[in-house]
Amino acid sequence: MKTLIKYEFLKILRKKSSIIIMSVSLLVTAFLFGLPVIQYQAYNKDGVIKGLDGISYEKRQYAQLSVVLTEEYIADTIREYQKLFENPENVGYDGNERFLIGDAYWNFVAPREKLLKVIATNYNKPGEYSGLNKLLEITTGVNFYKTRNEKIETLLNSSFLKLSEKQKEYWHSISSQVKTPFKYGYYEGWEIIITSFELLMFAILAICIVIAPVFAGEYQARTDAVILSGKYGKTKLITAKIASSFAFGILAFTLHIFLAFGLPLAAFGLDGWNLPIQIINTTIPYPFTFLQAVIINTGIIYLVLLAMISLTLLLSAKLKSSHLVLAVLVPVLFVPMFLSSNGITGAYNLILFLLPYRCTIPELNKYISYQFGSLVLDVLSVRAILYTVLTAIILPFARLGFKKHQVSA
Amino acid sequence: MELQLQNLCKRYGTKYAVDNVSINLVPGLYGLLGANGAGKTTLMRMICGILKPTSGDIKLNGKPIEELGEQYYSQLGYMPQDFGFYPDFTAREFMLYIAAVKGLNKKEAKTRTENLLHMVNLSDVADKKIKSYSGGMKQRLGIAQAVLNNPSILILDEPTAGLDPKERVRFRNLISDLAKEKIVILSTHIVSDVSYIADTILMIKQGRLLLQESMDTVTNSIKGKVWEVLVSEQEANKYISSFSVVNLRHEDNMVRLRIVNETEPIIGAHTVEPSLEDLFLYYFGEEIQPERSNPNEDIN
Repeated sequence: MKTLIKYEFLKILRKKSSIIIMSVSLLVTAFLFGLPVIQYQAYNKDGVIKGLDGISYEKRQYAQLSVVLTEEYIADTIREYQKLFENPENVGYDGNERFLIGDAYWNFVAPREKLLKVIATNYNKPGEYSGLNKLLEITTGVNFYKTRNEKIETLLNSSFLKLSEKQKEYWHSISSQVKTPFKYGYYEGWEIIITSFELLMFAILAICIVIAPVFAGEYQARTDAVILSGKYGKTKLITAKIASSFAFGILAFTLHIFLAFGLPLAAFGLDGWNLPIQIINTTIPYPFTFLQAVIINTGIIYLVLLAMISLTLLLSAKLKSSHLVLAVLVPVLFVPMFLSSNGITGAYNLILFLLPYRCTIPELNKYISYQFGSLVLDVLSVRAILYTVLTAIILPFARLGFKKHQVSA
Repeated sequence: MELQLQNLCKRYGTKYAVDNVSINLVPGLYGLLGANGAGKTTLMRMICGILKPTSGDIKLNGKPIEELGEQYYSQLGYMPQDFGFYPDFTAREFMLYIAAVKGLNKKEAKTRTENLLHMVNLSDVADKKIKSYSGGMKQRLGIAQAVLNNPSILILDEPTAGLDPKERVRFRNLISDLAKEKIVILSTHIVSDVSYIADTILMIKQGRLLLQESMDTVTNSIKGKVWEVLVSEQEANKYISSFSVVNLRHEDNMVRLRIVNETEPIIGAHTVEPSLEDLFLYYFGEEIQPERSNPNEDIN
């Protein structure tokens, strides 16, 4: 079996097309995940600081913001912000709203703009966007975490989400595991990864393109007759082909992951790995740190990858050429990119969130859940289960497809 | 060992590619003759278990081959007609890969690979990529892979296609050596490929088995039906379009025609000892007539 796997692996690797496709895919991944580093811009009184210098400047600014967001700290911050508005020289007006200008902006707002936004947004009603001005409306008692809980409650009961009582119960239980007060700090590298997961679809496509000829290539090269009439042609060889495809897929994807995660983390640093993801958006119900969120979603993408490899192998065993395989596969992978959701309930939305492309996007703040009788599961769990089951279901058919292949003119 | 084909049929739509073929094969070399499209390849693919018959059974020593599975395939060697290779593999890698597919252990695979590459005269180029090989070299590699597992059933589909005359002779001798105590089925539409080495001749036409006869007696059925006659060139043109002319040879201003016909075709013709080629022409003359429409062409 080892020898068969070795040669099947060689068959994949020896092709010029495999090397070209993988090289292009790695370059595209490096470009896409390297872009936020190249394009990074930090601002101060003197202007724009770009790239690595900008990152380094921003990190220095954050050094004083590695704090625990206690009610006291938030109250002090809000009070300080409001106090700056008492001096008319600090305040600008654009006809719509008032905002801080000059030293007040550069010394107080600019270094902690993200933090101020996340605090302000916590006090917004669901779906409301009022910018930092919301901080000026807080006059009595900060009640940051109480407000957060009330906001989640409002969200869960909103007519937009249309959640059942069981689903609300589920989200309450998940959300109650979020530890407060939140720790705050610098998390830029992790945020880039979390918001760029869908770019890994190109890597999945590239791997599927390379895998597409595993069975169909034998038909095209007319080698099917020889191998299918061999002792292990309909048994161990199929296992070897599947094993080598999975091994290649996992190795190639891991290489992409190293590049995709490595570039932003090398540039922005590992800082923030242990911070709660609620510091991006306080209503996120999952009790994850940035590192946990990245690991969980990466795990799901690996499962999607394995299912897509299985689907590719099934199509490869059933169709006569690898071009036909790709003609089916590309729409499966990329059509969902052009579909948008209009809620989180209803068959259309629930299916949409499970399609391969959508599965790469963590959707951490959307309260997407699936109810099966009295059992409620969140979208991340359903994705993990679904793609594991799909792989287990598809593979035997791929195996059968090649085993039953008829060599005819 | 006995390989039994029982009422074997393969139908595509309404057309039978193989039509009710029944035959018991025991060790020996079988020459499967038939024109292009006669059903030879379809029959062989069914024997190799890579094409499912529409009806009928294939049994080895009384057991259906589907039931035997790996046990059957481990005894099988197959060289398909016009089959492909992995262009980025060297001959040695290809042989070792096929050896693994055939279930040979590493040591055995290595020894057999070296011996067979030597036997088919590819040792010197064993580490060159197959994409650099000529058609003849690929054909020899195809033969080598077929016998890697020392099969007791060897199926060779048009194995001499692409070989030059010298290689064909070499190949015939090779097959003859390999065929001992094996069931070897060698399909061809080139009669000379099998006339020297086959023990039994099988003839297939439009999917039906026309004839199964020992090589020694195969031509008996056309004894007294093969004629030779010396005619003028003008007459030769006329007779070529009227009779199954197996051969023509120019002698001074005359042409000697060899004709297969039930009765005396031309006054003055005399019967000669029939050959396998005469027999082939007797059965398939109509199907291959257009190939020898030029009276000046020596078809021998």
